[in-house]
Amino acid sequence: MRKVTIIVMAAVIVLFLASWILKAGAFQGEHDHYIIRGFLVTFAAFLTLAVMSFLYQDNPYYKFAEHLFVGVSAAFWMCMGFWTTIVQNLVPRLSTSLADFFEVPQRAEGLNFFFYTPVILGILLLLRLSRKIGWISRWPLAFIVGTTAGLNFIRYLRSDFIKQISSTFVPLLGRDWEGIGAFFSNLDLSATGQLVMMVSNWVIFLGVFCGLIYFYFSREHKGVFGAGSRVGIWILMITFGASFGYTVMGRISLLVGRITFLFRDWLELI
Amino acid sequence: MKLKLLVLCLLLSCFSVASAQEGTSPPEDTLLFDSTLLPAPVTNLVAFDTENDHGHAITLEWEISVDDGAGKQSVAMYEVFRWVPDLMTAIPSFRDTLDYLKLRTSSSWSEPEPGSRTDSIHSVFAKLDMAQLEQKKETLERTIGQAIRDLPAAHAAYPENGSWQQVAVAPSGSVTAEDVGTKEKDSPDYLPDYSDFYYRVNAVTADPDIRTPSEIFGPVQSYGQWFNLGRLAVFVFVMIFGFLTIFFVSHARRGADLYVRPLAGIEAVDDAIGRATEMGRPILYVMGLGTADQIATIASFTILGRVAKRVAEYQTKLMVPAYESVVMAVAQEVVKTAYYDAGRPDDYKEDIVFFVTSLQFAYVAAVNGLMLRELPATNVYMGKFFAESLLLAETGAVAGSIQIAGTDEIAQIPFFIVACDYTLIGEELYAASAYLGREPILLGSLKAQDWAKAAVIILVLAGLILANLGVGNDWAWANNIVDFFRVVD
Amino acid sequence: MKRQIPVILVGMFGLFMIFQYFVPHESSEWVYEFLLDWTIIIGIFAMALGLWSLYRVSVEKIKTRKPAWGYNYLTLCGLFTMMFFGFTTQNGEAWGWFFPFLVSANLVLVLMIQASVNKGGRGLFLGLAGVFLVACVVIIVFDNTWGFHFETAQGLQSTMFRAFFDHILIPIFATMFSLLAFFIASAAYRAFRARNVMATLLLLAALIVMLRFHPFYGPLTPYIAPFMSKTSNWLMNVPNLAAQRAIIIGVGLGIVATALKVILGIERGYMGKG
Repeated sequence: MRKVTIIVMAAVIVLFLASWILKAGAFQGEHDHYIIRGFLVTFAAFLTLAVMSFLYQDNPYYKFAEHLFVGVSAAFWMCMGFWTTIVQNLVPRLSTSLADFFEVPQRAEGLNFFFYTPVILGILLLLRLSRKIGWISRWPLAFIVGTTAGLNFIRYLRSDFIKQISSTFVPLLGRDWEGIGAFFSNLDLSATGQLVMMVSNWVIFLGVFCGLIYFYFSREHKGVFGAGSRVGIWILMITFGASFGYTVMGRISLLVGRITFLFRDWLELI
Repeated sequence: MKLKLLVLCLLLSCFSVASAQEGTSPPEDTLLFDSTLLPAPVTNLVAFDTENDHGHAITLEWEISVDDGAGKQSVAMYEVFRWVPDLMTAIPSFRDTLDYLKLRTSSSWSEPEPGSRTDSIHSVFAKLDMAQLEQKKETLERTIGQAIRDLPAAHAAYPENGSWQQVAVAPSGSVTAEDVGTKEKDSPDYLPDYSDFYYRVNAVTADPDIRTPSEIFGPVQSYGQWFNLGRLAVFVFVMIFGFLTIFFVSHARRGADLYVRPLAGIEAVDDAIGRATEMGRPILYVMGLGTADQIATIASFTILGRVAKRVAEYQTKLMVPAYESVVMAVAQEVVKTAYYDAGRPDDYKEDIVFFVTSLQFAYVAAVNGLMLRELPATNVYMGKFFAESLLLAETGAVAGSIQIAGTDEIAQIPFFIVACDYTLIGEELYAASAYLGREPILLGSLKAQDWAKAAVIILVLAGLILANLGVGNDWAWANNIVDFFRVVD
Repeated sequence: MKRQIPVILVGMFGLFMIFQYFVPHESSEWVYEFLLDWTIIIGIFAMALGLWSLYRVSVEKIKTRKPAWGYNYLTLCGLFTMMFFGFTTQNGEAWGWFFPFLVSANLVLVLMIQASVNKGGRGLFLGLAGVFLVACVVIIVFDNTWGFHFETAQGLQSTMFRAFFDHILIPIFATMFSLLAFFIASAAYRAFRARNVMATLLLLAALIVMLRFHPFYGPLTPYIAPFMSKTSNWLMNVPNLAAQRAIIIGVGLGIVATALKVILGIERGYMGKG
């Protein structure tokens, strides 16, 4: 181990202990388990700094935080899944004695033997750990994929396709002339507002039109088609830029939140 | 049996004081006022099963009272009444008692607050021991089940043993109302299908005591339909799209040559695998945070299959960290078959695809660590990505990997564009599998997609022309087209 | 048989899910609700597979001395400890031998892995693991201040489960998330360096939208700020709307086509055969 590493590690340990003692002292009288509390707050601050150190480079503190994070979070989901889905939803539908064991309230509709099917499918899925009959685990996977493919087929056909068409449609035929249709009816160029409106409607129409041309796969993008496709990708890029810029402020406020934790909850400076 | 039930129902209703006050008292509907004050009744009342639903609902239509908006102008609103048998009214109070008995026999029983509803029931059962309570509970459960089964018969007994209850209101001027119940047998709003309902509509004046009932309409039954006509537009699209896909796929099977324009991101995949092989470094394939039920993830599985096959042929190392267990299981299956197809089943290891964790940023932390420690030559991101997209792509860029990304999450595409070498935008992700395989069947379905797009462009153009020619014209047929696209949810 | 049955299952359930949308009848709704519940439950069973994979890969890394292999012990101990918290609660205020038990149990885990990884000294590791295992058993038998609980999700409410959630998961999660502020800056710089039409357009649009937030134009604020905010609003409402619509229609078609291919068995890539 290099000398610098040892010095840094020693410094971190000393700072950690000092913070622990000081925090525990500060919590004394406020909380029952002030030693554990002091440790936890210090540890949270340590982890915050450890993750931030990733900005400099990969280092042992980041590795520590990362590996701990992975283990704890995986267990967290496992526990949540077990208690909320298996115990709360499945058990009371399968057996009254199991429900009594877990002390979950029984369901008004009573037992439901259809729920043995997902249990069997779940067990089939676990069979993939076996080399010989692992192939049988494709059945439950096929069940999940099939069910959700059908569900998504309808959902997106309705919401992403038909609704988008109809929302491009409705203002066209309406009497109040908003949307693309406003173009021709607003040919009066005297007012700037109308000019902007007109340009906007053109841009919306061309944007959708050229965007769809860009996503047209089975034709070479040459000539007029190529020009349309190029305008399409330009408009897409402007959109992505706008969305990029829009996100920036949100991300900065997250950083401010973390810095507030370090300076207020841990160091109590602000 | 029915007599016994009724006796029991009356007995139990006595226990629950509140319920007796709530709904069972029949409304005094014809009051003896000065008859000149009474509004004219609604006429031609009809009731019928609500269309395009799962049953348990009745729609009513009528012609407004002549005093609504005209004549005496005295009608303020309409009240819809349904004849409800006593048996149906009693079920909620049965349930209250059953709930009480369940609580009483469970471990979490505590004495109820004096004067509360539970307390009034408790006063009846307080002296019973546990065995008796259990027995009562079982009897009551059976009774409720029987009562629900007897509801159609009780409705058929009209007008014996029942009363009129208000089920809906409609403001003056309206000519229709809906009596919507639920299919949940436990709910107090349960409305049984295939039972004879009788309806009546009252025209009510500003003084709620002055009202005129209509003629009674009935019997009418509710039942579920087997096809929702409100969703016809979607059905037509399903059929057209299904036909287009099958047509082009069979066309492609017969050997037609289908052109697809080149996609830079796809062409780069092969080069990137070659580069990794030359450098002797692994390829990292990230499927994002999607679950196996998202189509973006399914598209990603297909691309993974192609990449894995190429990787197996070149004997390069592949790493696929998974965010979700089902995704992991499917991806293992995909990679395994790809290795078999490439003729290298011995090179396949179960650890090529591995589970990390299902917490967004824990997953990112682990994948970032992987990028910096294993130094993959190429990172491929395909699937659903959220806020983590930039963390992953930037770390990969800093580590000097060639990066190819594809997602349909509009908000994340800009980050990939900025930090990756190649990005598949939106639909290109779904087209990618057809490209990578170059199989005529998949290209055929791509053709179907393009046809649908062309149809959209034509529809939008047609809409534009219609709109601008139609200024000032009342074109009913144009509105009919618009209505067709309006999907009933 | 191995390949056909999954494809038939996918087609069957897929077609059912499509057609149930058009069938409002109660029986169709009934099956629909069942199927949705089932997929969730199967997913939970799959979690066991995930945990097994995590365990195996971690042990494998230790075995093959991969970069940063030592940290994998931390992953495994974190996993075990959090699971343990999810199923235990204190019986009263006192902690008793809870923490010594936790340490011993983690040591048993580490020593067992050591024994499986190292060929030499296996006896020593196993022996030590045995000693700690006995200690654990003794604590379980004699210490009544805490216990394993299987009543409704008590573990999820236990002090330590919540403490780990609040002081390990939340801080790391939030910090990782906040790193995005730095990453977005470096990404913007990257876009700035890329000199082509696309990147320039992207950056320009981003700048205009970003600048609407900051009225830092000094005395020129009343002249420039409204213009910037109007332009950025226009960008968000007009080209953005158009491009989003084009993307959404495309993505919608892509999803619909892929789903249809999956259901019809044309696309079998997800089952490893495309």
